[in-house]
Amino acid sequence: MKNQTTRIALIVAAVALSLVFLWPTVQDYRFRKQLSSLRGADSLSYVEQNQEAMLKAKLKRVKLGLDLQGGMRVVLEVDVIQLLNDIAKNRDDNFLTIIGDVRKESSATDESVIPALAKKFLERGIRMSRYYGSNIRAEDAEVTAYLQSETEKAIDRAIEVVRNRVDQYRVSEPNIQKQGSRRIIVELPGVKDENEVRQLLQGTALLEFRLLKDAQIAYKVMENIDKLLSGKLDTTFADTSAKGKQSVSKVAAPKKQTDALQELLGGNAPAEGDTTSAAKFQRENPFFYYVRPDQRGSGDGYVEAKNRDRVIALLARPEIQRVIPTDMEFSWSAKATTDKAGNQFYQIFPLKKSPELTGAVISDARSSISPEDGRPIVNMEMNSEGSREWARITGANINKRVAIVLDKAVFSAPVVQNKITGGRSQISNIDSPNEARLLEIVLRAGALPAPVAIIEQRSVGPSLGEDSIRAGFNSFTIAFVFTILFMVVYYHNAGGIADFALLFNVLFIMGVLAAFQATLTLPGIAGVILTLGMAVDANVLINERIREELAGGKTVRAAIEAGYAKAFAAIFDSNITTMLTGIVLYQFGTGPIQGFALTLIIGLAASMFSAIVITHVIFNLMTDRGMNPNFG
Amino acid sequence: MRFFKKTVIDFIGKRNLWYFVSSAMMLVGMLSLAFKGINLGIDFRGGTEVIVAFATPPQISDVRTAMRASGLGASEIKTYGTSDNALIIRTTEQGQGSTLINRIVGSLQQGMPTNPSTLLGSSEIFPKIGKELRQNALYAIVWSFVAILLYIAIRFKFVYGLGAVIAIVHDVFTTFGFLSILDGVIPGLNLEITTEIIAAFLTLIGVSVNDTVVIFDRIRENEKIHRSLSLGEIMNKSLNETLSRTIITSGTIFVVLMVLLFFGGEVNRGFAFTMGFGILTGTYSSIYVASAIVLDWSLWSKKKS
Repeated sequence: MKNQTTRIALIVAAVALSLVFLWPTVQDYRFRKQLSSLRGADSLSYVEQNQEAMLKAKLKRVKLGLDLQGGMRVVLEVDVIQLLNDIAKNRDDNFLTIIGDVRKESSATDESVIPALAKKFLERGIRMSRYYGSNIRAEDAEVTAYLQSETEKAIDRAIEVVRNRVDQYRVSEPNIQKQGSRRIIVELPGVKDENEVRQLLQGTALLEFRLLKDAQIAYKVMENIDKLLSGKLDTTFADTSAKGKQSVSKVAAPKKQTDALQELLGGNAPAEGDTTSAAKFQRENPFFYYVRPDQRGSGDGYVEAKNRDRVIALLARPEIQRVIPTDMEFSWSAKATTDKAGNQFYQIFPLKKSPELTGAVISDARSSISPEDGRPIVNMEMNSEGSREWARITGANINKRVAIVLDKAVFSAPVVQNKITGGRSQISNIDSPNEARLLEIVLRAGALPAPVAIIEQRSVGPSLGEDSIRAGFNSFTIAFVFTILFMVVYYHNAGGIADFALLFNVLFIMGVLAAFQATLTLPGIAGVILTLGMAVDANVLINERIREELAGGKTVRAAIEAGYAKAFAAIFDSNITTMLTGIVLYQFGTGPIQGFALTLIIGLAASMFSAIVITHVIFNLMTDRGMNPNFG
Repeated sequence: MRFFKKTVIDFIGKRNLWYFVSSAMMLVGMLSLAFKGINLGIDFRGGTEVIVAFATPPQISDVRTAMRASGLGASEIKTYGTSDNALIIRTTEQGQGSTLINRIVGSLQQGMPTNPSTLLGSSEIFPKIGKELRQNALYAIVWSFVAILLYIAIRFKFVYGLGAVIAIVHDVFTTFGFLSILDGVIPGLNLEITTEIIAAFLTLIGVSVNDTVVIFDRIRENEKIHRSLSLGEIMNKSLNETLSRTIITSGTIFVVLMVLLFFGGEVNRGFAFTMGFGILTGTYSSIYVASAIVLDWSLWSKKKS
């Protein structure tokens, strides 16, 4: 057993360490108080003088959890499957089916997608090198490794992009971490507008400059779709998916035209006997019923807002897809316009599928107000390579339109007036200055390599946070006072000494939290309170033992030694078992619960130390001086 | 000051009675679980939860009408916290991102124009996450059993580990049953299963085991000193000797939890309530169940050999 000097040395060391770790928190508190009492120029100069010290203090202080200071916590999941889809080459129907299956399966778990993909390829006896990588002779294992590293790189890039965006959004002390194989945890203290955060985090920010297809061709395609839907077009097409193979697939000839139409239009087709001119038009021209071609002959179409989903579904159908040329795509306008009658319309644009230029060439973006119409815009600048390309593209397409597409939505499709050599372009049709600002951030931070989805979101407003702080503080104070009173009443002197040791408990817990840069949450405070109750336990074990020994006739000094010796095993075993559950809780919990587990574990260790070492030292100091502590 | 002078209670002799009581408690709990079921929070089910504060105390029926207007009439609406002005609205519908939260806030503003509301906080969990959290919670509880069994088996004897684990299994089931019975019964107390409640379970496992181990330690010590006594007599002696300590510790923790329950804020309320009850069953099981199991198992295995 350690002797007195070692014990005292240990206590001093522990206290010193705790104070050292807690010092930044104290400093930070003092800085903030000072700052809040200064005004204007004074506060500015104060910040300048102490900037470095303030930053250091801020970095190392005990942080408050989001549930105490308010803020948002978001878990993003990177759509790895979309990524695997995008980096594949020669995507054919087989590939699409496989990807579709993997997507369905993985929607249920967090497991790694790539092994699942590899298995599917194996099942079908197809080599993965057919779709991935440059070496057609590569083994599946090689390809899997390649995909794994590409995915990891993409996820790291995604984290960087998220970090950039969050940085520019000016959140103080954000916390961004990778979780598992494809998740990102983003904690944003003090953030309130979750709509904005969603926009900020979820958009892939894929910027594309795309040319429009010739108006004549566009109109012809729309006509073909219309004819196909109304049954006038020949429905047999060669399946061009497999190279060289000629398989003919027929779209099943509808038994009744109206049945097929009903199915296509989701039950919105005109009734069998409806003979109004509107119904007739719908039957004869089902596509143009919904998509009104632009009267000016630009090749665009206008769709009423309420029909937008239906048209999207229509255009996505495989039989319709086959009528659209492979280098063409219908893209939707990002915003709806309102006509004089108050109806809302979306535009669809016939765009060339492959972009002329992408957001990779954008070197800077700045939100601003257009001098022409006073509406918000974002001005973009390109790097030298981009500027060259842009000059070439604009030069070759004068009086033609170039669509500016962000995340597959067309913001505008202005006519090229002249060749643009300065690498400048602009996004217009933005609703609000806020949106412009978000776009600016998102364009500067870069495009996400794959879409991310928000799978978990928790936000706590500042007033809830304040309530929690108050509740935590109140309950801690009351519990503390109760514990102290009880110990003194029940164990007299010994109780008072145990109370004194309890103070050290709290100091040690806070010190360890500061040392680990852990965050204090409301459940964490509950953990501290719980440890107060359990700290009593260790002291009770010791004091009850000492009482027994005294009753057995030992001297005070001897009883104390015997009490500590005999109680040690019980204290040790019981606290360790409770700590085991704390460890399990830490492993399986997230966020605030981990905060609780942490304070519980630390608190138990601290209470063991203070009960076994600190009180012992004090008792011995007392008996050395001939004072006999009263054990009630 | 002393609560208990030297007690001589026969815990072991009457253990069949206590087996009966324990089984009855567990049975009642399981019946409630089977028929009434348990209320899973959105942590484990997936869904969206919104906390709103109104200018004046709202009528729940008004709120429901407002919600119905946007197709969310099936949402759970409960009071939140100690003030009458705050409500928590919960729906398991899966929306496209924050459109669901916007819908709720919007329909409240439209449907109750005379009582303006502000959004205090929100949570949204995908069902996928809910499933993972459920699994994690289960693993956590099972692993804690395993860890405790191993540790006690090593420090004492295997049969002691068994006794301890059976005692905490009893605690977990009884407390679950208790939550199931009381869910929705006490106004202002939300007892749906959240991650905090699971944390309460794990903690009460830890604290119950704490008591049990102290008693086992005393038994271990007494076995060495009083070699002439039978195991049952030693157990009784140990239980009586540690009774004072057990009651005091459980008592203090219980009081501390009650402080948490009333002053610790809404987030800690479910936790404090669950653990408070857990302390009661934990103390009971440490005294009446754990040692009894060890004794009967030892007798039974002695009879076999």
